[in-house]
Amino acid sequence: MDVICVQLSPGVFTTCGLMSNEARETILGSIRSHLAASVPFDRLEQHAIRPENSVILSNNSDLFELFKQSVESVDGHCVITTDVTDALKQIITDLRPRRIAISDRVHLEGIEAAVAPNAHDMFSFDVGISTAQAAIAETGTLVLDSASERHRLVSLVPPVHIAIISASKIVETLSEALALLQSEGEISPAVTFITGPSRTADIELTLAIGVHGPQELYVIVDQST
Amino acid sequence: MNHLSSETFRENAKAALADTHLRGALKNATSLFGERRKAAAASLPNWEELRTQARAIKDEVLWHLDQYLEEFVSSAEARGAQVHWARDAAEANSIIRTLATERKAHIVVKSKSMTTEETHLNDALEAAGVQVVETDLGEYIIQLAHEPPSHIIAPAIHKTRGQIGALFTAELGMPPTDDVDQLTSTARATLRDRFAAADLGISGVNFAIAETGTIVIVENEGNIRLTTSVPRIHIAVMGIEKVIPRLADLDVFLKLLPRSGTGQRLTTYQSFITGTKRSATDEGPDELHIVLLDNGRSRMLAHPVTRQSLACIRCGACLNACPVYQQVGGHAYGSVYPGPIGAVITPQLMGIEKTAQLPFASSLCGACREVCPVKIDIPRLLLHLRGEISPRKGSMAERLAFKLWALAMTSAALYKLSATAGRLLQRVVPVSRAWTNGRDLRPIESRSFHDLWSDE
Repeated sequence: MDVICVQLSPGVFTTCGLMSNEARETILGSIRSHLAASVPFDRLEQHAIRPENSVILSNNSDLFELFKQSVESVDGHCVITTDVTDALKQIITDLRPRRIAISDRVHLEGIEAAVAPNAHDMFSFDVGISTAQAAIAETGTLVLDSASERHRLVSLVPPVHIAIISASKIVETLSEALALLQSEGEISPAVTFITGPSRTADIELTLAIGVHGPQELYVIVDQST
Repeated sequence: MNHLSSETFRENAKAALADTHLRGALKNATSLFGERRKAAAASLPNWEELRTQARAIKDEVLWHLDQYLEEFVSSAEARGAQVHWARDAAEANSIIRTLATERKAHIVVKSKSMTTEETHLNDALEAAGVQVVETDLGEYIIQLAHEPPSHIIAPAIHKTRGQIGALFTAELGMPPTDDVDQLTSTARATLRDRFAAADLGISGVNFAIAETGTIVIVENEGNIRLTTSVPRIHIAVMGIEKVIPRLADLDVFLKLLPRSGTGQRLTTYQSFITGTKRSATDEGPDELHIVLLDNGRSRMLAHPVTRQSLACIRCGACLNACPVYQQVGGHAYGSVYPGPIGAVITPQLMGIEKTAQLPFASSLCGACREVCPVKIDIPRLLLHLRGEISPRKGSMAERLAFKLWALAMTSAALYKLSATAGRLLQRVVPVSRAWTNGRDLRPIESRSFHDLWSDE
């Protein structure tokens, strides 16, 4: 039962083999015949998804404050500032990294950094800096979108991740953030939600921070715009 | 404790009950998970409503599973993913083995996937000379120990830090320690080398979005993100029941799954992967393969009672809540999926012959039903499966006893007679030991309610 795929050009392939078609028909046929043999489900009650009963925020500064609290509740650091460069310099002065990697969307003044290193080089960097395209206040979540920024490795591989988010891009709820993913039609090839630094509790349910991803997450909320 | 069989559940359970290390680890883990889940559920005012919605979405998908699968496949293929259909475990493993060997993959990094545990993919790849590295910390620990996972979301829940320290000393040559941070950072350093060297990454799937062709994978550690973004090729393996209609439906499931599993509001990372990279300079894999596995699932659609087990989102909450799982742990079940949901799914996937003891591994207390985020009526499913097994497996004496009981209960005279006889016989005849070994049987009162009522 060999599967033979022919690559026509990068990312474009012919259908993989005949077995797959046969399996497809068998599985779909089995689903249809087993469903037909059964009685219908109990009358389904389709519940409209209602807006959540979350805290009603009176103004934007409450929203930013809620976001900051949420980031801190999952062991991240958060600063709200009108001077991003200054905030970045302070964090970097404290960290004293040897090598800094930045995404293709980050512009730094007076800090030496490599732009978007490839997968294998990335493992030798100490700090990765990216922006974020949106953020969720109720959970402290950053939303990174590959159509805007090559974020996947720079926000993951170095032991420290610094993310810059424009204050105007913070939404309150998860459902608002999900709606944003399709606001320009198609969803991007890679979207990542990040809530705090990497963590595990696989040994006796004891929390350990920084298992495969960053051990530290800094979020800078840019209020200048 | 390795690779036990479901056929010997009773013996497995006895051995587990005698293991004090195991019981200590289980008690600690299941009670912590339980408390965190309870607090997380209570933090949302509309928890019950969310459960109802989630189940309604799942029921809608299952009732039109063929249509949603076809929609998912055409959306994913339109964005550059290659979809492979696998009727059973052997076919799924063969597809993945061929993909790996054709591309001359030497090292495969894997993130946690119950579906590939179900197909025993690692054995199939290793037999073809491919080195497979599990990268989830818990999975990595049990791979080093050559054990199967014992919990759906915390595979090494049965091990103490002391045991893990000894394992790391023996297998990785690290100085003896039971410090969790040191153990974790050693695993991180060892696995980073493997990620950098890997040719291929294999992951599971939590949700597959029909509308967009997106696969969504949730995690805390970051190993899924590394698995899906560092190697050149990504293979995602999913059961056919993982599809949901729309991206917006995730609002419900991303609220329920982490709260039910670990008690978190959201896990640290959600990866939304839609097709392959669009240009040569994009990050991420050149190839994305999605393997759709049936392996008995389509057959489960036929029965209106049992098909609800296909709504399961693998959160593990029913394991933590179950008084049987809490005592015996996951290995005793002898199946890939342990606990209450395992006792329901395993007989349906693997056949009832070799798994007939599992539906009886429950006190039917209903704790699993209470915590299930998609409202699967697990006790009802267990009873249904028992009903399928009993005509075949019940003893002659048991069937005779129930026949006599039915006769006595339908006649007033016979009922009175049998109550008097029971009262007398109880003093001289020992009742079935199978029942009284683990429980007290109260003596029948000397006077019945009926007698007392007549006296008034």
